[in-house]
Amino acid sequence: MKAPHSLRVLIAARWAGYLAALAAVTLVSLFIGLALGGARIANISMLYLIGVFAVAIAYGRGPAVLASLAAFLTFDWFFVEPLHAITVSNPDEWVALLLFLLTAIVTGQLTAAVRRRALEAEQREREAAVLYDVVRLISERDFVAALQAVADRLRTELTLSAVVIDLPGGDHDAVRAEVGEPDALAFLRTTARLPADRLTVGKAPIGAQRGTPGHWVRIVPSRRPGQPYVPAPGRVHLVPVTVREQRVGALLLVRPADGAPFSSADTRLLTTVSGQLGLAAERVRLALQATEAEILRRTDELKSALINAVSHDLRTPLASIIASAGSLRQQDVHWTDGERQEFAEAIEEEAQRLDRIVGNLLDLSRIEAGHLRPDKGWYDLSALLEDVLGRLRPITAGHPVSVDVPEELPPVSLDYVEIDQVLSNLVENAAKYTPSGTPIALSIKHQGDEIEVAVADRGPGIPAESLPRLFDPFYRVDRPGPRPQGTGVGLAVAKGLIEAHGGHLWAENGPQGGARFAFTLPLSAAVAVAPGEPAA
Amino acid sequence: MSRPEGARILVVDDEPAIVRAVRTNLTRHGFQVDTATNAQEALATQRQRRPDLILLDLGLPDRDGLEILRHIRSDSSTPIIILSVRGAERDKVAALDLGADDYLTKPFGVDELLARIRVALRHAVRPPRGTAAVFRTGDLEVDVEHRRVTVGSKEVHLTPTEYELLKVFVAHPDKVLTDQMLLRQAWGPEYGSEGHYLHVYIARLRRKLEADPQKPRYLLTEPGVGYRLLSDER
Repeated sequence: MKAPHSLRVLIAARWAGYLAALAAVTLVSLFIGLALGGARIANISMLYLIGVFAVAIAYGRGPAVLASLAAFLTFDWFFVEPLHAITVSNPDEWVALLLFLLTAIVTGQLTAAVRRRALEAEQREREAAVLYDVVRLISERDFVAALQAVADRLRTELTLSAVVIDLPGGDHDAVRAEVGEPDALAFLRTTARLPADRLTVGKAPIGAQRGTPGHWVRIVPSRRPGQPYVPAPGRVHLVPVTVREQRVGALLLVRPADGAPFSSADTRLLTTVSGQLGLAAERVRLALQATEAEILRRTDELKSALINAVSHDLRTPLASIIASAGSLRQQDVHWTDGERQEFAEAIEEEAQRLDRIVGNLLDLSRIEAGHLRPDKGWYDLSALLEDVLGRLRPITAGHPVSVDVPEELPPVSLDYVEIDQVLSNLVENAAKYTPSGTPIALSIKHQGDEIEVAVADRGPGIPAESLPRLFDPFYRVDRPGPRPQGTGVGLAVAKGLIEAHGGHLWAENGPQGGARFAFTLPLSAAVAVAPGEPAA
Repeated sequence: MSRPEGARILVVDDEPAIVRAVRTNLTRHGFQVDTATNAQEALATQRQRRPDLILLDLGLPDRDGLEILRHIRSDSSTPIIILSVRGAERDKVAALDLGADDYLTKPFGVDELLARIRVALRHAVRPPRGTAAVFRTGDLEVDVEHRRVTVGSKEVHLTPTEYELLKVFVAHPDKVLTDQMLLRQAWGPEYGSEGHYLHVYIARLRRKLEADPQKPRYLLTEPGVGYRLLSDER
């Protein structure tokens, strides 16, 4: 990208072309006069055409015309009789001279046109390349990083001191990307607060105030005392970024002191880039809105899930309690002792079930608030496992249960009640969601510096689409059958408890079908305490 | 306490605790109670036992209660009371529109449940009269709640099928019921052409209920159409 730049500098110095035109003519004249000794060679004037041609290629139309005229006059003056006079004695010479002028001008024009087209093609190619890069960069997932990349690209492309893309947006979605020299950026920051703010917020300015696309709004730097960096006026530019006639931000640029002014191609490029920025900003805004709507919908879903869970899971035990208590209270029936006992048991069991549900809900809120502190001690995991299985025997009665525990198992630091709860939950789930008669396999494995506990069943497994959300609070696997099963709290709580222990809990489908839930507990420092001895 | 020979009630709920409490209570109040914990069991029991009333939970593990409701209603007018935790108006409307006779939200009080059971049984006798689920015509009395049939003051013992057939007449007094309709209501939807069954049972009922089975006062034959139970109303 160096060549176009130096070329641009040359082109920019327009007067240089005219100077070169005169120099070329002088050179050719000297050559004819000195090298050829002023010998009268027919059509020697054609040598000038080479000069005109060269000037046209290098500098374009204007200098070429000048070169043609200069060549015409010089030739007439020095080499056509009478010498050193504009007048021409021989009418034939007149015709030749005029024909020469005409040829020179036409050649110059044609060459200049070809040159212009080549330059334009080159510029368009560059523009397309830059634009392609910008569009590619801007579609980056991280919008701020995308803008940063675009600003960087513009800066290298146009050799600028600083580029700022400023999209103030709303209150919480303001985006600003800055690239460039620190003092130029500092200057833009203060400047942007002055005229740019007024231009970028609210309705687009109307009429002349707005200007046509591609025109600069030049920021005249405010001369404040004690501000060290003040670029010359005209070196700071602002391109408005608009979306549907609405100004949403600005592209701010600072040119270096020794840089060329922006060409019309640069202007076009920057205008197109600002258009793309506007589109991208709009796209991001819409995506953000969609995300917010999605979050609202999810929250709503969660709320109704909670209400459903509460209404079903709290009311079901309540129904049994109220029916049993109401029966006991009935005046017209004399219950036998056995029946009384039965009602009382139902009330107790269902009340305990209610307590478990409420406890789970409380655990969940504690976990979500991050207030969980396991009360750890050193325990034998296999004993805990036996405990849980013993207690859950009535629930697992319909399933053959196998246990695989290694003989040498180090004690693990854990909160007995919490890990008991996790394990109970997993075993209960395995028993509840698989057809009776299918086996449940429990295993404990010592793996490096952690212990893995797994509960595998041979039931229908977990639908693939449910796996990622399985541990979300109130999430329930859609199963054939209309009954929502469980509160969808147990697994969320289990995960929270295990994570509070520094382990992790996951679910997978076994290679031979069925679901497998496993969790790990870290063994770090387990050796430091003798087995069975509770830690402080 | 009354003998457990009252109306047959089928309790359908997947919560063992609720089933147990309701069964104990209803049994003590003289009803014969069958239970089912899922839809499949419920439908099988309904077909086999021909209950006089069904208490139906909507949230069952295998099928939605509403489906069972629709299924039962397609061939039977057995009173059905929904017991559900779903308390929204649209849930109630959906169930009632599908043919439920009543809707009770969980948790419920047992006294209210018993009262609603009595109401539902009373409605099984048309036209409903007084506060008891009892149909009377001449000296014939059918007490649906207690599943007791008396002629004069003498109790008549009917077989389950005979009782079922009589209940169909009691639910539609003074209406001519076709053979097909009677067969379907008393025996089940797969019946309809077994006219000879029906004639045998009608003859048995007449022998048990009529003073002179040859000249019936209550169960009249409508030649070529079917039968009719005459009530006092006419």
